[in-house]
Amino acid sequence: MSAESSHAHEHHWEWSQAPFWVVAGVFFLVPLTFAAYFQYQNPLLAAIFAGLGTPMLLAGIAMWVNEGLTVKPLIADVAGIGLPIFIISEIFIFLSFFVAYWMMRLGADVWPPEGTPEFPVTLPLIMTVVLLSSSVTIHIAEEKYAHNDHGGFVKWLIFTMLLGLMFISMTFYEYNHLFHEEFYPDTNAFGTIFFSLTGFHASHVIGGLGIFVCVLIPALRGLTNKTFITCASIYWHFVDVVWFFVVSQIYFW
Amino acid sequence: MSMQTFKEWFFTTDHKRIGIMYLIGSMTAFVVAGMMALLIRLEQSQLGPTITDNPNEYNQWLYFHGAAMVLAFLIPGLTGFFANYFLPLMIGAQDVAFPRINAFSIWLFYGAIILALLSFVIPDPPDIMWTGYPPYSITTMGNTAYYVFTLHLLGFSSVLGAVNFLVTVIYMRAPGIGWNQLNIFTWTTVAAFVLQLVFIPVLASAVTMLLFDKYLGTNFFNPEAGGDVLLYQNLFWFYSHPAVYVIFLPAVGILFEIFTTMCKNRVFNYKACVYGGIWGIVGISGFVWVHHLYVSGMPDWLRIGQMVTTLLISVPVGLMVMSMWGTLYKAAITFNTGMLYAISCLFLVLSGGLTGIPLALTAITVHLSETSFVHAHFHFIMAMFSAFAMFGGIYYWFPKMFGRYADGKWATTGFILNIVGVHVTFVPLFIIGAQGMPRRYWDYQMFPQFEPYHQVATLGAFMVAAGMSVTILNWIICAFKGKVAPENPWKSCSLEWTHAPNCPQAGNFPNPPTVTADWSPYGYADREANLKATTDPGFPGAAKPAE
Ligand code: HEM
Ligand SMILES: [Cu+2]
Repeated sequence: MSAESSHAHEHHWEWSQAPFWVVAGVFFLVPLTFAAYFQYQNPLLAAIFAGLGTPMLLAGIAMWVNEGLTVKPLIADVAGIGLPIFIISEIFIFLSFFVAYWMMRLGADVWPPEGTPEFPVTLPLIMTVVLLSSSVTIHIAEEKYAHNDHGGFVKWLIFTMLLGLMFISMTFYEYNHLFHEEFYPDTNAFGTIFFSLTGFHASHVIGGLGIFVCVLIPALRGLTNKTFITCASIYWHFVDVVWFFVVSQIYFW
Repeated sequence: MSMQTFKEWFFTTDHKRIGIMYLIGSMTAFVVAGMMALLIRLEQSQLGPTITDNPNEYNQWLYFHGAAMVLAFLIPGLTGFFANYFLPLMIGAQDVAFPRINAFSIWLFYGAIILALLSFVIPDPPDIMWTGYPPYSITTMGNTAYYVFTLHLLGFSSVLGAVNFLVTVIYMRAPGIGWNQLNIFTWTTVAAFVLQLVFIPVLASAVTMLLFDKYLGTNFFNPEAGGDVLLYQNLFWFYSHPAVYVIFLPAVGILFEIFTTMCKNRVFNYKACVYGGIWGIVGISGFVWVHHLYVSGMPDWLRIGQMVTTLLISVPVGLMVMSMWGTLYKAAITFNTGMLYAISCLFLVLSGGLTGIPLALTAITVHLSETSFVHAHFHFIMAMFSAFAMFGGIYYWFPKMFGRYADGKWATTGFILNIVGVHVTFVPLFIIGAQGMPRRYWDYQMFPQFEPYHQVATLGAFMVAAGMSVTILNWIICAFKGKVAPENPWKSCSLEWTHAPNCPQAGNFPNPPTVTADWSPYGYADREANLKATTDPGFPGAAKPAE
């Protein structure tokens, strides 16, 4: 896709279409679709925007992953530093939601507020174990990769993804269960914070799974890149660590 | 333009071209938001309905004006355009660490601009001011979602910019450049990005909660169900006070580049300026947000505590201002348009800063809060100090970007109209603000005595409009037709002038520079020795500054 510079002293104007299409996709898929549906209550328009945005987004991501794996970067391996810096930012997002939670909870007369059903204890424990194991499996995958065992890497990556999927299914199972008990995001302050914190975390799990898909598909064709794998794995560990805070604050406090 | 050239511009990942795209985008935002300011001023120029009898329309102008000026003009202009174009050149890098992510940032920024501009054509546009306070933002018919997503897009863009530039400065400095050899502009940009990285997520979360509350029925800000309205204000200002420094710091950085070059002088008290001034501000910035909530109600320990921290901010600011004056002291100063803007900033920061002190004092601010005194105060710092620093920077680096000068009688005319105009606009707002003119009101029937002041302010606004029209036209014309500038026309010591040719090409440097420990971007005391402390620039006319 993009012009690649081969010699240190001979430069071309570099370009890439990937970022444009990703943003175009996001632009249709998120602000336009959301506002069409919720603000203007026009599901048809929302569907059209989503239909336009999705292919753009997917095409953009595909181009980007492809370039990331084939074009030599200007300076090697710094993505492994960039990602942790980005994670600092993510931490502050979660922190803001926790602050909202603490303010509500510490300011409340009774907690949990009226309308909150009994919460399960075993399910979150199982979810914790599942997510924790997935951190172990992705680590094994990385080890396999480091020892040039490509087949082993793919295998353990798939294990990780299956564990992630299991985690997400359990989240949906639990949401479903709570909806049956008439507990919704708008039920009370706890509903608000419960669904936004766990939902926000779950969206990160889904994001992590998306990254794994981007690693896996080229890997099946034999295309991999160490930094890419390291980043995916750092991100996954981060999502795992956040879960400890979520689970301890929400279920076991 | 051939297809290839088009692609190389439109889909570019080069930091200089992305910088130019930021310049175009942020100046567009400035022009449209400036027109809104004129509408606001026209409406206020007479008692009663003047150009609209619909207060909602007035609200939409105010919304667009404030949001676009802060979020789409100043922040992207400073951390998008200036940082992108000049920071890699100053540290001797060929590009930023993640060029594609850089392109991603610019597109997110344009997405936000398009979304904001859409508010002129959609039904029920956002009408919630740039602050978006609930409960109004939740109960209004207006499209709060667009406000939220505009902030999301801009925020994501800035956070990725932060990642990009922090990694770039840490890993891509030319071999030999130590921390104490960085340009002040580089330091201020790094500091601004640290602030963006840490504080933007908080804003993003706050507006996300707004979105959920309005459209999904959650209760974050709904006291009836255990939520807390003040939570929004706290989270919002926890970001938006530091955001002031995201604007202020790079503006100061630009001024230092202009001052040192035009004075042929080192930075006075470099270390105090960097470690005390810049990082002092970063350190305190997260502990002062409550001064925006003085009239919202809070416990006294918090109010008094944050009054103290707010006043403490004057220490690091003072250190930086002292360094600026110290750099000018006894120097042989060259005057040109860039320098005119830079010097005016020394006075603007004084008026803006000193009027902040009564606002910080809990007793006095109860009287001044929510009056046009506040407007005048922050316009002195943001609209005038920071914007003028940017304009000065554009004149200063114009030869670098376009190989031509933009100075001349039109430039000076624009400057004079601007500096006179902003004072004619905002000094009256100080006066009537102190007498109780409420801010953000569509009309002021209860205060007929303020009408003449509003008329003067409106006159001033039109002077600025004239001044900016001259200025912007002059830039556009000079970019293509201006007098051709030699390499390093101001005889600077900084790498972007000594080692990169005018209109740098892809890859920036014919010979990527390396420097020794004796080199400094401000090594004017012994220019020859300073140049010898670097490697050959590799293009004619660079090593010896053109006479
Ligand atoms: C260049 C000439 C400018 C003029 C004539 C102007 C004029 C005004 C006026 C008349 C108001 C509303 C006052 C009221 O409510 O009574 C206002 C508000 C505001 N202006 Fe400007 N402005 C200018 C530039 C800027 C710039 C460069 C910024 C960037 C920081 C800026 C930021 C704001 C903000 C944040 C508000 C508050 C909006 C709100 O309260 O919702 N202005 N301006
Ligand atoms: Cu503040």
